[in-house]
Amino acid sequence: MKINKAYINNSSCVSCAGNSKEELFLAICEKKETIDIDTNYVKNSAVAIGKIKNSMSFDESLINECKKVLNASNLEDFTNTLLIVGSSVGGMNKTEEIFFKDKSYENINPKEHPIDAIAHRLKQTFTFYDDISFSTACTSSANALGYAKEVIEKGIYKNVLVVGVDSLSYTTVCGFHALSVLSSKPCTPFEKNREGMNVAEAIAVLLVQDQPTKPNAVQICGVGYSCDAHHMTQPHPQGVGAKNAMQNALINANISIKDIGYINAHGTGTMANDTSELSAITSLFNEHKPYVSSTKSVTGHTLGAAGAIEAIICMMALQKSVVPPSKNIVELENEEINISNEVIEQNLKYVLSNSFAFGGNNTSLVFGLPL
Amino acid sequence: MTLHLEIINAAYLMDKTTINNLNTKELVPKMVFRRRLTQASKLCIELMYQINFTQGRVMYVSALGELSSTAKILNAILNNEGISPTEFQNSVYNTPVSYSSIWHENRSEIMTISSGNNSSDRLLKLGAIKALDGDEILLLATETLNIPNIEEINKCIEYLECAVALKVKITQKKQTITVENRDKGLPQSIALLIEIAKKFDKNKSNVIGVTL
Repeated sequence: MKINKAYINNSSCVSCAGNSKEELFLAICEKKETIDIDTNYVKNSAVAIGKIKNSMSFDESLINECKKVLNASNLEDFTNTLLIVGSSVGGMNKTEEIFFKDKSYENINPKEHPIDAIAHRLKQTFTFYDDISFSTACTSSANALGYAKEVIEKGIYKNVLVVGVDSLSYTTVCGFHALSVLSSKPCTPFEKNREGMNVAEAIAVLLVQDQPTKPNAVQICGVGYSCDAHHMTQPHPQGVGAKNAMQNALINANISIKDIGYINAHGTGTMANDTSELSAITSLFNEHKPYVSSTKSVTGHTLGAAGAIEAIICMMALQKSVVPPSKNIVELENEEINISNEVIEQNLKYVLSNSFAFGGNNTSLVFGLPL
Repeated sequence: MTLHLEIINAAYLMDKTTINNLNTKELVPKMVFRRRLTQASKLCIELMYQINFTQGRVMYVSALGELSSTAKILNAILNNEGISPTEFQNSVYNTPVSYSSIWHENRSEIMTISSGNNSSDRLLKLGAIKALDGDEILLLATETLNIPNIEEINKCIEYLECAVALKVKITQKKQTITVENRDKGLPQSIALLIEIAKKFDKNKSNVIGVTL
């Protein structure tokens, strides 16, 4: 059932890699150092994390990013817009602040703790037609974008604001440390001697509409979902679920493997993820080999915001005809993939973005320039 | 726009403290897997058994997610103790449907949303829009609030554990179920879905309207 097409007309983001999407893309292309070494979150241990560097509070940044998108759009306000949030921690940083101070739950505002805390905060400033929040760990905002595509294609809504957002929290940094997957230095996904991942924070906002309002609007062409049904935290070693998600996205976009020019990999830098994803990519793209990179070496792993921020990166790659490079790869784990190590100028028709999460939740998105 | 969903099967569970008398041991005989399950995961597996759904798309909602694991992690950090890796992996909102997908080897699309007190409404909307594709979909919801010191923050919810499952498909049939009143002792996030499940009658047509 496809009535309309879904176009990303406006977007904005803030992350450790910059306070705008232009700064982000430049940081990726210039392989800037964006990840900090932190000794605050994990006791007696240094971990590399990605922090937003601006003078605003996280909440102020959230509102600011949405305002930037609204001001650049053809909308007067969001009253006819569906808000779709993707987040894995919601208001956890506020909960931690209160609980660690009070040692009690008493002063925690139940509206500011859960995933819905993000929508709750946004609705204090903006009026939306309706809202829904996805929380599937690290695929949260990829699923939010997939749903945006679905509701526009089915003719249910005309305007959708997708907000991918996760702030740093003790729970996530210490939690991933407990799983022994954190790196003490900036992560190097797909490098044979990689150490692990970098937890990071980000806010990425995309206005998805049923008509392109700009000549360079990028279309969300396909979404593919799958479930590993394998393990809570370990992806399937052969990447079966990841491959299914990519295949489903290509089918949904009605394109073939050879149409994909670039894959923005999930590429967290953990042993388990990268091995699984490489297996999936090499298994599916065995004849035609698109360029592959993981931009998490610059953004860190922004968890629930990752799908949205990587959608912006894919969008800019298409608009600028630039394949984003990988960073600090000396020896590839798998020589069968066509890794992009430097900036490559190339016209791109379609790009694929992968997001994988706890519980074996897999989502792949296909983006393309309108024909 | 209003879409109509036919409820093919429904079940619910609720208790003021903890839902007991579950068949988890029989349904999940593999102990090494069973002992990792959160209470919400057990409730999901129980309800899926009751309405006979193991394969297909699942849409799940919880307003507060895995509160027990979240609280244990917070207390561990507060007390400078190590975090259990199992508690961390169990703390994400999609934990219950992930465990059930692993157990049933269900590789279909499994989605999790969380929309505070509006969670029931949003799950029905999500389910109705997804069901336009023509398949039968499972809508699942849980709230498991029975954690130590919950009284510090809970002043009004009577039923600390609730779970509900609705197997649905899109239909052109006329609406037969309306919900006027909701049990005020239920978590607001899940009350509407439980009232719908209470009205389900397998000998009648069960159709709800979902206004988008």
